[in-house]
Amino acid sequence: MTERARRLWRLAPVLLVIALAVAWQVPDVGWLDLASPDAEVAERMTAALDALGEEPRVLVGFDADIGTYAETRPTVRAMIADLLARDARLAFVSLTAEGRALASAELARLDRGEANPARLLDLGFIPGAEAGLVDLTRRIRVSYEGDHAFAREVEATGIGTFDAVLVIGGNDLGPRSWVEQVAPRIGEIPFIAVTPTVLLPEVQPYLGAGSLQAVLGTPRDGAAYRETLALGNLERLTDPIEPRPLPVLLGMLVAVAVLGQALGTRVLGELRAARSREPG
Amino acid sequence: MRRPTLTVLVVLVGLVLIADLLVVNTAVDQLAGIVIDAAILVAAGAALAAVGSLGARRIADLWRRRGDPLAAGLVLGGMAAMLVAGLRPGSTGTADPAVQWLVAALLVPIGASLFGLLFISTLAAARRSLQSRSREGTLLVAAALVTTILLVPVTGGLGSWLAGGAEWLLAGPIGAVFRGLLIGVGLLTAVYAARTLLGLAVADD
Repeated sequence: MTERARRLWRLAPVLLVIALAVAWQVPDVGWLDLASPDAEVAERMTAALDALGEEPRVLVGFDADIGTYAETRPTVRAMIADLLARDARLAFVSLTAEGRALASAELARLDRGEANPARLLDLGFIPGAEAGLVDLTRRIRVSYEGDHAFAREVEATGIGTFDAVLVIGGNDLGPRSWVEQVAPRIGEIPFIAVTPTVLLPEVQPYLGAGSLQAVLGTPRDGAAYRETLALGNLERLTDPIEPRPLPVLLGMLVAVAVLGQALGTRVLGELRAARSREPG
Repeated sequence: MRRPTLTVLVVLVGLVLIADLLVVNTAVDQLAGIVIDAAILVAAGAALAAVGSLGARRIADLWRRRGDPLAAGLVLGGMAAMLVAGLRPGSTGTADPAVQWLVAALLVPIGASLFGLLFISTLAAARRSLQSRSREGTLLVAAALVTTILLVPVTGGLGSWLAGGAEWLLAGPIGAVFRGLLIGVGLLTAVYAARTLLGLAVADD
C-alpha cells in the first residue's frame, strides 16, 4: 500500500460519516424502500395482534440492549402505539439492567406523550435472568399508587392475567429464554417478539416450530409492519423520523466494496498460487 | 479439587425444580419458590458485587496512577452521577427525571455510537482475517458479503428476488445449522444434567 493510499484508508471512517450525513439530507428516491417487498412477516404479526381480541392484556418483556436498540426502536415504539390503539393494557417488565434503563426511558416517553396511564403498568426489574423468568410465572409483585384496576388485576391473577407476551429482545436476553422458561409453565398464550437481526437465526427455529407466533427481526420487516399501521391520534407515540434508506444503502455498498475487494484479492492470490504450482 | 457440596446442592435444587414442574403439591411449590428466590438474590448480589468491584478497581487505578486515569475518572464519574440521581433524598429511583435524562440523553446515544463503530472495526477485522489466509475467515467473509447484498433495500423485481434469497438463506442453510446447534445444546444439557443428578459427574467439572 502506498503512503497516499494509507492516508486515505485512515481517513476512510471520517469520509464515511460525512457521506452518510450528506446521504441523510438527500430526498428519498423511488427505487429505494426500507420496507421488505415481501410483506408476509409483517402480515403474520398483524394477524397475531388481530387474534388477541378486545382490550388484550399484554406482558411486555423489555430487554433490549443499548447497542442494538437503535435498530429496533422505531418498530418497538410503533408496536406499543399499535397495541394501545387496540385498547391493550401493557405491563412492562425487564430482566436485564440495560433493558430496565431503556424500558424506564420508554415509559417516561409514553408519559410525556400522554398515553393513558390506566393502560400502562411498570413491573420494574427482576434480577436473575432465567430464574427471574421462572419467578414471574409464580407470582408478580406489583407496586402502584391510587386506584389502578389493571395493577390490581395483575396482583391478584399473576401471569394468568395476560393474553399475550411481547418480547423486546436484545443481546443478553431474548425470545428464546422466554419460550424455554415461561411457555412450559403457563397456559397456551401467544408469544410475539421484536428483535435485532443478530438474534434472528436463534429465533427462527422457534418461529418455525410455532413456539413464537410472529417475530419482527429485521429493519426491513419492521418497516413493512410500520407501513401497515393507521394509528390516528396515537401516531404521536411513534418515532417522529423514519430511518432513511439511502444512508443504509450507502453503508451496505461500502461494506460490499471493502469485503469484495479483500475477498477478490484473496481468491486471485489463491488462483495465482495454484497456477504456479501446476507442473510445466 | 472437587467440591462435593456443590454437587449435592445442584442435585437437590435440580430435583426440587423437576418435582415442582411434574407434581402439583403446595409444599414442593413453596420449596421451589424458596430455591428460585435464593437464585434471584444470588444473581442480584453478584451484579452488585461486579459493579462494586469495577468501582474499586478504577479507584485503585487512580490511586496507584496506573492504566488510563481519564477512563477511570469517567467510569467513576458516571457511576457517581447515576447513584446521586437515583438515590438522593426525594429521588424516585429509576423513574426519576434525572436518571431518565442520564439514560436517554447520554447512555443510549453513547452505547449506540459505540455499537455503530462496530461497522468499521468489523470490516477491518474481516480484512485482517482474509490477510491471515484462513479458510474459515474466507468463508465467513464470503457469507457476510452474500448476506449484505441480499439485504440491499431496493424495490421492484430485483428487491423481491433479493428478499426471497435472504429468506431462503435464513430458513434453509442458516436455519438448519441453528436448529442443529439448538438440538445439540439441548441434548448435551439433558445428558449433563442427568449425569449430575445421578452422581455420575460433578457440577464443577
